[in-house]
Amino acid sequence: MITSNRISRLMESSSWIRAMFEEGERLKKVYGAGAIFDFTLGNPIAEPPQELKQGLCDMVLSGEQGMHRYMSNSGYEEVRAQIAGFHRENSRLPFTQDHIIMTVGSAGGINVALKAILDPGDEVLVLSPFFVEFMFYIENHGGVMRLVETTEDFRIDTAAVEAAITERTRAIIVNSPNNPTGAVYHEDEVRALADLLARKKREGRRIFLISDEAYRKIIYDGVVLPDAFNLYDDTISVFSHSKDLGLAGERIGYIAVSPRLEEAKPLIDAMIFANRILGFINAPALMQRLVGRFQKNSVDVTGYQEKRDAIYNILVESGFEVQKPEGTFYIFPKSPIEDDVEFIRVMQQHHILAVPGVGFGRKGYFRIAYCTEMDVIERSRAAFLEVGRLYGLGPG
Amino acid sequence: MILSNKIRKLVMDQEGWTRKMFEAGIRMKKEYGVENVYDFSLGNPEVEPPAALSGRLIEMLEHPTAGMHRYMPNNGYESVREEVAAYLAERTGLPFMAIHVFMTVGCAGGLNILFKAMLNRGDEVVLPSPFFWEFKNYIENFGAVPKIVETRPDFQLDLAAIEAAITNRTKAVLINSPNNPTGAVYSADSLLGLAGILSAHRRKGREIFIVADEAYRKIVYTDAPLPDLFGMYDLVITVTSHSKDLGLPGERIGYVAISPRIAEAQLLVSGLMIAIRALGFVNAPALMQRVVGEFQRNSVSIDDYKERRDFLYETITGAGFECVKPEGAFYMFPKSPIEDEVEFVFRMQEEERILMVPGRGFGKAGYFRIAYCVPMETIVKARPGFLRAGKRYTRR
Repeated sequence: MITSNRISRLMESSSWIRAMFEEGERLKKVYGAGAIFDFTLGNPIAEPPQELKQGLCDMVLSGEQGMHRYMSNSGYEEVRAQIAGFHRENSRLPFTQDHIIMTVGSAGGINVALKAILDPGDEVLVLSPFFVEFMFYIENHGGVMRLVETTEDFRIDTAAVEAAITERTRAIIVNSPNNPTGAVYHEDEVRALADLLARKKREGRRIFLISDEAYRKIIYDGVVLPDAFNLYDDTISVFSHSKDLGLAGERIGYIAVSPRLEEAKPLIDAMIFANRILGFINAPALMQRLVGRFQKNSVDVTGYQEKRDAIYNILVESGFEVQKPEGTFYIFPKSPIEDDVEFIRVMQQHHILAVPGVGFGRKGYFRIAYCTEMDVIERSRAAFLEVGRLYGLGPG
Repeated sequence: MILSNKIRKLVMDQEGWTRKMFEAGIRMKKEYGVENVYDFSLGNPEVEPPAALSGRLIEMLEHPTAGMHRYMPNNGYESVREEVAAYLAERTGLPFMAIHVFMTVGCAGGLNILFKAMLNRGDEVVLPSPFFWEFKNYIENFGAVPKIVETRPDFQLDLAAIEAAITNRTKAVLINSPNNPTGAVYSADSLLGLAGILSAHRRKGREIFIVADEAYRKIVYTDAPLPDLFGMYDLVITVTSHSKDLGLPGERIGYVAISPRIAEAQLLVSGLMIAIRALGFVNAPALMQRVVGEFQRNSVSIDDYKERRDFLYETITGAGFECVKPEGAFYMFPKSPIEDEVEFVFRMQEEERILMVPGRGFGKAGYFRIAYCVPMETIVKARPGFLRAGKRYTRR
């Protein structure tokens, strides 16, 4: 067999995703794409800010020599200095360019961080429901993923985290705002987690907090994302510009290591080295040059918030049990039947495409990605109401 | 310890002489001025992309289309893969189609996803030496084992040695022609010989792939183009980068080409789709994908490199060093006149301000690598130093 056993197993275990995807494609062919409400993909449709597009164009027009060449594996010094400036201001901590490593998106960043700290058999805690790729990232480097369930309303369950910590626990990945639930962990929750980790550290078990903040700027209702750097010393944050600057396909992000982290130098050197040997080498040159000065920019969040409100209202109106998300462009309602995969099939018959919760480690739920045109959301209302009625939900 | 044992060992391995040398180089450039230090240590070509490519990029950015920076399928834009496939079909006469092309984050990214998709723990990859040291890291990233096999004194493949290295765990032979560090271009005869060996194993039921790193494919000085591997053996997968031929090393763009004769090509593509996600690349950078498709037939101006090769080769051999004349890439790999080449390289730094890399950095002690992708002026100015060293160290 041409593929490795491990990859073959992964392909097999995700075969239902393919089946679902293919059914979706078939429906689009039969009824026309316009008649299908596709909420499966987290492909942000927001375009980059106009100034960024102009900046990119100007940069290439300048014809500066050497702009496409290799640079240091950690990225351009001036770009890292700009980003450090942003974090200094944000966290009031003495960030310098040496705390920043430019990466191929946050997916690249998390792989680099895990490669630097994991030995085979080391454990990484992940709060569930979770973005399944975290499992791949951990297993790439011989680590073992340990899932910790969040509460019914998707908050951090500190007692459950404590119970999951063992001799081999090396890190915890916290993704807030969260994919798939849209939850934003509040300061008191993150502080309780940080206090737990600090206590473990005093007891001799050092656990890194890997904070995946890919969705940090897509946050609603004036909610403030707690600053992990100020809550826990051993924090490694990973950022992406896929969502806030609309550059998903360009693969640009970075790692920021807390200035309070002890022994930061060898860790940072190892991550730069991992960036090389994992084959990233460096983050794409042109995009690096661009993003440094757009750290404070963001996509238009009001657009996403309107969509969040629209889809939330439709789901409530249809009778679904659902938490109102405070961030991201995902919403994670409860499936009216236990078998979420079966429920997804039923929704397909009503031309709604979504992803079953089991794909995120929680059966009995489903994920809707509402980073679509508003029109799609509005037109899907009748179909959701119909599905609701089918299961005897809501006002009917 | 903050680092994993595995990464600490890797970091330490390279920290010894590479770091010392690197630091000595920086110190010297400060002390004597950059123009008075002759740096032949880096394979970083100082070529700019073709004007037509920059023009195309500008055109694209001046007329942005919605979605041009979004995610696309993990294997890349279909239209770009079609363009690359058309070029491959024309070059090889084989029925390459879009499915046989997989866009990657450079060659390094391509090799990593390929190894992730193909190699089981304990699988072996035969690796002719001297070799680009990162190959070892890429193979070991996935728990596989590099089986290092010496080449002949002229740096051509030693077929008997390769045959002897094959075991029942061998999954692939990784070749790199034109070669870094030797500049050797493997002859059609030796490649046919390799194909013959692997075909014999295949008849006995053991499938061994040739994975060819063709990053330097367009930099050959022989009259004949690089022999076409796809025509010689069915199980061929090539990995290509546009770092050298289109001057885009910092942008991280390349592709994997899977022979249409591989029956399991579709399965491998599915495996690569998972591997590129799992490793965090997700996809090759969007903007660069869009430009490279139409520049497949472009090439670098070989004449400049050839002029440098000829002048440097004349200098090196004239100075009395023993050296195989390179037929491709921009590297030369002479024999060290004293047994300990690290000592020799250090002395060349101190005595002549000439920076090079010791052969053990490529798995072959007793040699040193000169990277001549530098301005002609640097070679001219370094010539007296090489000649003086030749008088001192060689028996001429």
